[in-house]
Parts: sequence; C-alpha cells; structure tokens
Amino acid sequence: MPALEVSNLAKRYGPVHALRGVSFALEPGEIFGDLGPNGAGKTTTLRIAVGLVRADAGAVRLLGEPAGRARARERIGYLPGELRLWDELSGRALLDHFARCRPSRPPLLRERLLEAFGFAQSDLDRRVKFLSHGTRRKLGLVLAMQHDPDLLLLDEPTAGLDPLVQRAFREVVLERARAGRTVLLSSHVLSEVEAVCGRVAILRAGELLALESIEGLRARMLRRASVRFRGPAPEGLARLPGVERAEVSRSEATLWVRGDVNPLLGEVARAGVEQFIFPEPQLEDIFLAYYQGGRGAADAGARP
Amino acid sequence: MRNLLRALVARHAAFVALSGLFLAAFQYLICAAVASVDVGGALAKLLESLPPMLQSMLSATLFGGFSVHGLLAFGWNHPIAQALGAAVAIVLATGAVAGEAETGAVELLLSQPLSRGRYFLAQAGFAFVALALLSLAGIGGTLVGQRVFQVEPFATAALVRLGWAYLLLQCAWFGITLLFSAFGREGGRVASAGFLVALASYIVQVIGQFWERAAFLAPYTLQHYFQPQDILVKGAGIAQPVAVLLGVALVTTAVAWWRFRRRDLP
Repeated sequence: MPALEVSNLAKRYGPVHALRGVSFALEPGEIFGDLGPNGAGKTTTLRIAVGLVRADAGAVRLLGEPAGRARARERIGYLPGELRLWDELSGRALLDHFARCRPSRPPLLRERLLEAFGFAQSDLDRRVKFLSHGTRRKLGLVLAMQHDPDLLLLDEPTAGLDPLVQRAFREVVLERARAGRTVLLSSHVLSEVEAVCGRVAILRAGELLALESIEGLRARMLRRASVRFRGPAPEGLARLPGVERAEVSRSEATLWVRGDVNPLLGEVARAGVEQFIFPEPQLEDIFLAYYQGGRGAADAGARP
Repeated sequence: MRNLLRALVARHAAFVALSGLFLAAFQYLICAAVASVDVGGALAKLLESLPPMLQSMLSATLFGGFSVHGLLAFGWNHPIAQALGAAVAIVLATGAVAGEAETGAVELLLSQPLSRGRYFLAQAGFAFVALALLSLAGIGGTLVGQRVFQVEPFATAALVRLGWAYLLLQCAWFGITLLFSAFGREGGRVASAGFLVALASYIVQVIGQFWERAAFLAPYTLQHYFQPQDILVKGAGIAQPVAVLLGVALVTTAVAWWRFRRRDLP
C-alpha cells in the first residue's frame, strides 16, 4: 500500500489551473521531492492531501485513508510553507497543544529534535511573537515531527534556516526514512532535494512534467562533453551510439550525449585525448531544462 | 475538541473576562447613579423643554417612564452595554474562520486529526459560553448594585428573561459575523462588516422608535427584539424575541457551517 497516493488530481482557482491531472505515489520509507517554481501546484497538492483544499477532480489517499478524513491525519506530520503560529502562546505551550491533538502518538521525538535543531530551552518559554523567523521555522519542524509520523509532508522545510540546521534537518529526514517513515519534501532548494530524495516529481503550471528517480533523470538528460584531441578529431563522432549532436573543429569537439557514454569514451580514447570535460548533470540542470522547454525539453536537448 | 477549547480559553479568556467585568461595572454604576442622584428628575426637567409629544414618547420608550426600574432597564439598552456584547460576539466570530485564515494558523490546526465539524463546534460552543458569561456578569452587576444601593430588586424571573434576551441578541451578532467570517479571508473586513451591520441596526431601530414614518423599519432590526424596559418594567415575556434572535443565530450559523465545510483554507 502506498504511503501517499495522488490520482489524477485537478484543481482550478477561477481561470487558473493549479493542478491538471497530477498522479504519483510514494512507497513507505521513501523520500520524495516535489519540485517546481512558484505556482507550479506543489502547495496545492499538499493542501489537498491534508484536507485544507478540495480537489475538483481526482483523489488523494494518505496511508490508505482518503484525504480529508480526520483519521487520515492521525499518522501524518505537516509543515506549511507559510508557517503561522499563535503568537500569544509560548513555544512549549504550542508543542504541548499539538501533541495533545494526537493522544495515541506521544511526542517521543521532541527532545531529540530540539537537540538536533539546536533549540535553546529558553526559546521554548518565550512567546512565539518574540521568536525569530528561523526559530519559528525550527519550532514548526518540531511540531510536524515530534510525534514520529508515518508520513511527513513538508512544504519548503528549510526556508529561512541556517546551513547548520539545514544539515541537521537532512540528517533527521534520512534517519526517519531509515526507520521506515515516508517523506514528501516540497522544495525550491535543489541541493537539498538532491541530497536526500530518491525520486522527484517536477511540476510546472499544475502539470506533472517528470516523475522519476534522480539517477534516471540524470541518465535521460542530454549531457555535453567537450574534448580536445592530441591530433585531429576522428570522423564519425556524430554517428556514435548515444551521441545526438556533434560540433567538430580540427582537434576539438563538443558532443551532446544521452545514456550510455561507453561507445564515445572508447572512440575518444583510441584517438588520443588531451582534455576531456564531461560534467555530471546537476539536478539544477535538469530542473532548468524542464522549465525552459517544457515536457520534452530534457529529452529533446535542452541547453545544448 | 477539548484541546482546541483549552487553546481558545487561553487565547480569549482575558478579553472575555475584561468585557464581562466592564459590563458588570457599568450596570453597577447605573444602579449607583439611579440610587444616589435624582436622574429621573433631572431627565424630566431636561425633557420639559421638548415638545409634549416627544416628551411622552422619550420617557415611555427610552426610560420606561422615569421609574427607577425604567432607568435601570435603560442601562441594558445603553449603547455601551450594546456595544460591549456586540464587540465580544464580533471578535470571536471573526477569529473563528477569517481571522485564523488570515493569520494562517488554521492551516496548521486543521492539518491535525481534527475535523472541520469539531473545529466549528468548538468555536461556536466557546463563543456561546463566553457570551453567556458576559450576560451573567452584567446581570450580576445589576444584582449587586441593587443590593448595595438598596434599590428595589427586579423579579428574578424578569432578570433571567433579560439575561436570555441579551445573550440571544449577542448570539445573533455572532451568527451574522460568523457568516461573513465563513466567506471571508480578512479578519479586518469581516469585523468591520459585523460592526457596520450592528451599528446600522441600532441606528435604524432608534430612528424607527422616534420617527413614526420610519417605524415600519424597526422590526427588521435585531435590537427591536431586545427591549429591557418591556421585560424589566412591564414584565413582558420573551417568546417572540427568543424565536427571532435564536432563529437568526441558528440560521446564520448553519449557513456559515455549510460554507465553512466546503471552502478552501486558508
């Protein structure tokens, strides 16, 4: 049974299509990235999942339960992108309030999380309105995770956090996944997604552009290799398997390659290489390829 | 739900308690004024300068004929008493949906295993209890004032009827503002709308009382169904006020609930 199942989800806000038939599923223990720029539909997906927004079509199931039912939210933890808390309560009162919302799941992880995020005990006794943005954000993370939820839905979890806390967050997320918990991480921070997520969904204007493992996306990505040969560049480079395009000038060649690079490497090695530059595609490249060219861009050769 | 009620108490207790204290003090001071100063005589002298028709109308409708009980009853019809009750009702109703949506706190709250029904019920239940306490505080002020200043006490049944009528009037304001709140996203706008409706209703009712040609408008105002003079001085029943005010409160709250359970949040 998927931990989270999103099926053909559609939502409109007036004339704007926030989601157009988005489907994906998260397996238990998976860390999944939901990527997209502002207005892509990431937050709407999460809000439908926790029952705050009604879908026009499609369905979401949380741990087997239809989204929207209070019971479905018993075993999840949710961090909104725009976290607002009751300013007049102290951090401790807030943590206690939200812990009492789930009597069956005591906040066993609270102390561990407070320590991991470097939360000073004195901050807990201060009213929320006197806490800094970053400290509020840390409080939000503790609120979402203190009851050790089976499914974590985190919207821009590290926005406003310092690098140390970001690293601590990544460690905690990986630790929870090792313990069998599922995490959906909606983020703009590509390095963060790349560091912890196994698979990603890339959304744009409410449409699912890609749903794949990061490795799979990298493999499908058109990559550029720059070669400087010791002598003249060999002929027939453009006809090698995997090479989709080649620009050759005397001893230099720029090649756009997809998939298996071994045929190219063999040929290049035989010709004698002075310099070979073949950078690993970063998630950012993939992401930008999708956003600059749409669904087919990454396949068809974005940024050649 | 108990957890949410506890949070509501923590957040609003001071405001409700202060409002109750203020209403109690106000009713107590009305008793003090009526007992220590010849307010009736002073008002009668003031009204002597007015045309005879206006004199009788004012003295009968506003001050219950300048009797001690009539003047005490005016304390419940006074704009301060009206504004205090409406303020508590409007603030609580605004905060229930639009206020929480505007601050964004509702997003975190309703992502917990708490149904919208329970959330709504907790908000409405808390408001009812808060308004009932406010009403009781006012009645307490009148009772203590009458005792301390040795003013002839009202019949207990009349005071109970007055308390119910005042409570239901505020519940009606709560329901109307809750309706705006269920449709709205900005607390300021919702509170302003609730306040304007209450103010307009009060003004129309006063005009309808003193200007015969506008009298037909009075039954369309909520204050028309809250007549402390009739209840305390004439011993009138409150069947019609209960029916109207309770009806308004229930219908508006029901429509607000219908909207709230369907709307997107925040």
